[in-house]
Amino acid sequence: MSADADKPPIARRVALHAGLIAMCLAIVLPLLWVLRVSFVAPEQSYSTTLLPGFSTQNYQALLSGRFGRSYLNSIVVSLGSVLIALPFAAMTGYAFARFSTGGRFARFLMLATQMLPPVALVLPSFTLLKGLALTNSLTGLVLVYAALNLPFLTWILMGFFKAIPVDLEWAALTDGATAWGAFWRIVLPVSLPGLAAAGVLGFILSWNEFLFALVLSGPSTQTIPVALAALQTSNGVQIGNVAAGVVLAILPLVVASRFIQRFLVEGLTYGSVK
Amino acid sequence: MASIDLRSVSKLYPNGSYGVRDVDLRIENGEFVIFLGPSGCGKSTTLRMIAGLESISAGDLFIGDRNMNRVPPRDRNVAVVFQSYALYPHMSVRANMGFGLKMRGATGEEIARKTEETAALLGLGQLLDRKPAALSGGQRQRVALGRAIVREPDVFLLDEPLSNLDAQLRAEMRLELVKLHRRLGRTTIHVTHDQVEAMTMGDRICIMREGRLIQAGRPLDIYADPVNLFVARFLASPAMNLLPVRLSQEAGSLVIDGGEGLRFTVPARHVAAYAPHAGTQVIFGLRPEDIYEAPQGARTQPFALRVTAVEALGAEIILSGTAGGGTARPLEITARLSRHARVQAGETVTLHADLLPAHLFDPVSETAIARPSLRGAA
Ligand SMILES: Nc1ncnc2c1ncn2[C@@H]1O[C@H](COP(=O)(O)OP(=O)(O)OP(=O)(O)O)[C@@H](O)[C@H]1O
Ligand SMILES: [Mg+2]
Repeated sequence: MSADADKPPIARRVALHAGLIAMCLAIVLPLLWVLRVSFVAPEQSYSTTLLPGFSTQNYQALLSGRFGRSYLNSIVVSLGSVLIALPFAAMTGYAFARFSTGGRFARFLMLATQMLPPVALVLPSFTLLKGLALTNSLTGLVLVYAALNLPFLTWILMGFFKAIPVDLEWAALTDGATAWGAFWRIVLPVSLPGLAAAGVLGFILSWNEFLFALVLSGPSTQTIPVALAALQTSNGVQIGNVAAGVVLAILPLVVASRFIQRFLVEGLTYGSVK
Repeated sequence: MASIDLRSVSKLYPNGSYGVRDVDLRIENGEFVIFLGPSGCGKSTTLRMIAGLESISAGDLFIGDRNMNRVPPRDRNVAVVFQSYALYPHMSVRANMGFGLKMRGATGEEIARKTEETAALLGLGQLLDRKPAALSGGQRQRVALGRAIVREPDVFLLDEPLSNLDAQLRAEMRLELVKLHRRLGRTTIHVTHDQVEAMTMGDRICIMREGRLIQAGRPLDIYADPVNLFVARFLASPAMNLLPVRLSQEAGSLVIDGGEGLRFTVPARHVAAYAPHAGTQVIFGLRPEDIYEAPQGARTQPFALRVTAVEALGAEIILSGTAGGGTARPLEITARLSRHARVQAGETVTLHADLLPAHLFDPVSETAIARPSLRGAA
């Protein structure tokens, strides 16, 4: 018998591949179209030719306006909120994973915040920031995003910490470490990949956030999603600019998703226990 | 001084089950104690309570003269080899072994020297710069052992530290551990499932079952005088033959009657102890090694064994067969003969049992019927 005997019949394989290719196209084609439009002169955006000449006109137009500024804002807000939220999330997540801190109620509360529709939170946060004179400021946005990220990151990190064998901490404790020492010297280093993955997820979440940014930011503190929406003017949609903006907005996410994959694939405690 | 004193110590888990129940045990300073028992009997839980990693639900724990119930692990100067090894995955072997010294404020020079010494002792010299992920199971286990040894603590708690080693390495490490114990003289608890480790390494064996301490004593004492059927079955392999028989008084002597010609007379030495049980069903416990192919003077009494299987192990032969009991339910008996015995499956052979070391057990309470011990007296 040849090895071919194990494979499904040729007709089935062709059908299977055709189906998969169709699904891939459904996902990839719009992206490819956006990429194409972004590199084509605006008046040819809707032309039927596949590639009617190459032009960086859209990008130049976009970056000559406020988009560069928005890009910077997005980076500051996303990074800042993650950097603020992550340490708190790590400590809370660890407490939730290892101790009975807060009991069931605290854990439920944390999940419950995730169930509220964002609209319900926008106005209260606006009022809060107004009281602190932080509306239209990046600081305000960073703080709000950090607060939004906190429950989510805590939940993810709790999972990571739970997956670390408690024996590791016990070993550290008998070796003479304090509870904090065991956390700092053993648990944190061991869960670095998890922290990185959580950080990247938090970054993406903040990067894509629209509603809060719309309400809480002003012209100089606009983030990318708001800036992109603003391209929809009364003169119609500037499709070329939007396409260029989308391509630029996606870039960091492409890089981030590569990182996430690497961190998640790397085992956390491989080799430490049998 | 690091004696360990457990006073009716219990561990009640939050799910309502007891991991350990009412354990009373005093381990003297410098003693080497073996914990033996089936999986889930509470050996690791007991170690964790001694190390301070698990709270004590009831009872008191003393190390030396100090009540340790509420003392954190780092102030107990106890080193643990975890059943799972629990090596720090992000640290090299060197850093793993040095961590405890570092936490206790040793100088860099001291850490380096002690780590190198211990690594050499355990044959890990070449592996000091590897991460745990790049080690074999046996190597990891030795690193775990090294991490404990290097600290020279007051108390060693070793949870199956040799379980993952091959036979030769295990024999070597067994010797190393015993030598180490002799040299350092530290109080040691060693958990094992291995009969040889249990019998040869320790001053005392503690046999546990379902969270309770069943019997504690010198290895040969427990072997000679198991307190109940569980211990009789558990210690030694092949296990003791446990035969349901009838004890009866006949013509001035006490007879163990297994039916169909399986009859033994109770030795005069034990008659006084066993006589009150005459006329009842008992369990007759006879070790396979107390059965011989030839009579050993007046000590032994003959019986016929229908051999069903022969296992030649080289140094000895393990015979399995049936005897007595009537054809409906013959009694299964295992015998351990010298390698010179010539026996084949299917034969019926006459063997000779030494009744002096044998025991009788109460079939209901499963405890041994008390009789004068042969040990100490002998
Ligand atoms: N965290 C826990 N919660 C509830 N029950 C537990 C917990 N840890 C252990 N147990 C139970 O306590 C009992 C004793 O467990 P322990 O780990 O001490 O057994 P052991 O004697 O070390 O077994 P083994 O030889 O398999 O290592 C077991 O029945 C186990 O299921
Ligand atoms: Mg165990």
